[in-house]
Amino acid sequence: MSGPILRVESLVKRFGGLHALSGVDLAVEEGEFRAIIGPNGAGKSTFFNALTGLLRPNSGRITFEGRDITGEPPHRVARRGVARTFQITSVFPDLSALENVQVALLAHARRSWSLWPQARTLGTARARELLALVGLATSAAKPAGALAHGDQKRLELAIALAGKPRLLLLDEPTAGMAAQERLETIRLVHRIARELGLSCVFTEHDMTVVFAVATRITVLHQGRVLAEGTPAEVRARPEVQQVYLGEAA
Amino acid sequence: MKGQYAALLAAAAALLVLPLGLTDFWIFIAIEVLAFALYAVSFNVLLGYGGMLSFGHAAFFGVGGYTAALVARQSAVAPELAFACLPVIAMLVSAAAALVIGFFAVRRSGIYFAMLTFAFQMLLYTIALKATPLTGGDDGLTGLKPPGALAQPLPYYYFALLMAGAGLYVLHCVVNSPFGYMLRALRASALRVQHLGVNVRAHRLAAFVVSGAFAGLAGAIFALSNGNIFPGWLDWTASATPVVMAVLGGTASFLGPALGAAVYVVLEVLISGRTEYWPLAMGVIIVILILLMPEGLTGLWRVARRAGIRAAPLPTREAR
Repeated sequence: MSGPILRVESLVKRFGGLHALSGVDLAVEEGEFRAIIGPNGAGKSTFFNALTGLLRPNSGRITFEGRDITGEPPHRVARRGVARTFQITSVFPDLSALENVQVALLAHARRSWSLWPQARTLGTARARELLALVGLATSAAKPAGALAHGDQKRLELAIALAGKPRLLLLDEPTAGMAAQERLETIRLVHRIARELGLSCVFTEHDMTVVFAVATRITVLHQGRVLAEGTPAEVRARPEVQQVYLGEAA
Repeated sequence: MKGQYAALLAAAAALLVLPLGLTDFWIFIAIEVLAFALYAVSFNVLLGYGGMLSFGHAAFFGVGGYTAALVARQSAVAPELAFACLPVIAMLVSAAAALVIGFFAVRRSGIYFAMLTFAFQMLLYTIALKATPLTGGDDGLTGLKPPGALAQPLPYYYFALLMAGAGLYVLHCVVNSPFGYMLRALRASALRVQHLGVNVRAHRLAAFVVSGAFAGLAGAIFALSNGNIFPGWLDWTASATPVVMAVLGGTASFLGPALGAAVYVVLEVLISGRTEYWPLAMGVIIVILILLMPEGLTGLWRVARRAGIRAAPLPTREAR
């Protein structure tokens, strides 16, 4: 396929008088590992929610693999091959880790309507593979709610991967982790994305994490793209240092 | 797993021989337990698995009951034939009612979902009360009788056992199917499920319809055993009954609500035979039971396990 895997053109989202996104443009090439950074309230989460159909943008256009997906409901967007994780970890706490991934596999296989056979043994082999991939092989039987925070984040990654996505949207995949665990987690995501040939867009507050893996960086500020480029380019831009890097340092 | 099958076989055998030692009065009570067990379990498919608290489930129990009554009273076809088709008809009509009510109700969740189901049920209650030519109004429909030998308590008990057993089996398959897994996932996070490519609203509606259909079957079993159906079975107190039964038995277990139904019905019989203030006594007993057992009767063994009181290693969630 030619052209970017994800293209966003002049995306606008208003909440009453508040312009959460005021004309965002973005193009993500296939295989990219794109970081979206920006201070709190820059519009990062709103942007993700608009991309995945949870919020309907007021105007603008979103194309995924050349197809217009603007305004499609979340389950449609997901079926097209866009997976996401949430800033606030979102697993199914009273199901086991294995069952969490099974649910995702069943959903992907369009078996969510099946009444037969029993689900207990369906997809367990693949689910175990995915758990092993994110380093949770030994926690398969544990209720997801009993896992440590970082493990829940990795479980959510396994859930996202179960749908064989081509684009992975990660909303703060390392939120709430200690510094060392953050780096390990993002490197894990990076390695998996490479192995599976996924494109990835993630938001992140920790600059060490961003610069460790991002191929390109987009800086959002007050609902607009303030800067975009390779890590080195972005780091050098004075206005970025002013609104964001300076603040973080 | 093996132990569970053995327990299930033992329970089935017990239910088969149980009425042989009972008086007609207690057989009648046993039939009521079967009907309410199915009612409570069908309700709990929504609450315990789908996380939807329906506060208007009497709508479907009542619609099933009224449908059974109307089918039993008609004179167009032979009573035997009408009776043979009755369970299916009652389920279809209740499912249709659930489809219409659910279409609106599943758009909301939590307390708003509960209030919508409640409002629709009160609407049906009013219809039952006012549409006298069809429903008999305040007097209800009386003199219902299954045909032939089924009019006797013992044969009807076996009929009720077959119907309730089949209903519970189907519901058990539903909650353990891939669809059932989606329901359980939905309860935890509808947002997450949506982003896995699942149409959340459609799945909620389907669960609502299945639940309503089996509540309707329960209503039909009950109406024909009772011999009558009144608007009271569409009233809000009848919607509270499965809530209490499910919570009493334990919403986390498939058969918990059935156990809750048995305890509730038998308690009610025992107490109402002794005092006219039986609702007060029932209320106090239920409050105490729920305070003592926050996870219900079937939650006791989980509590025991957490407390470390375990004789033999219990199967893990995985092994089950």
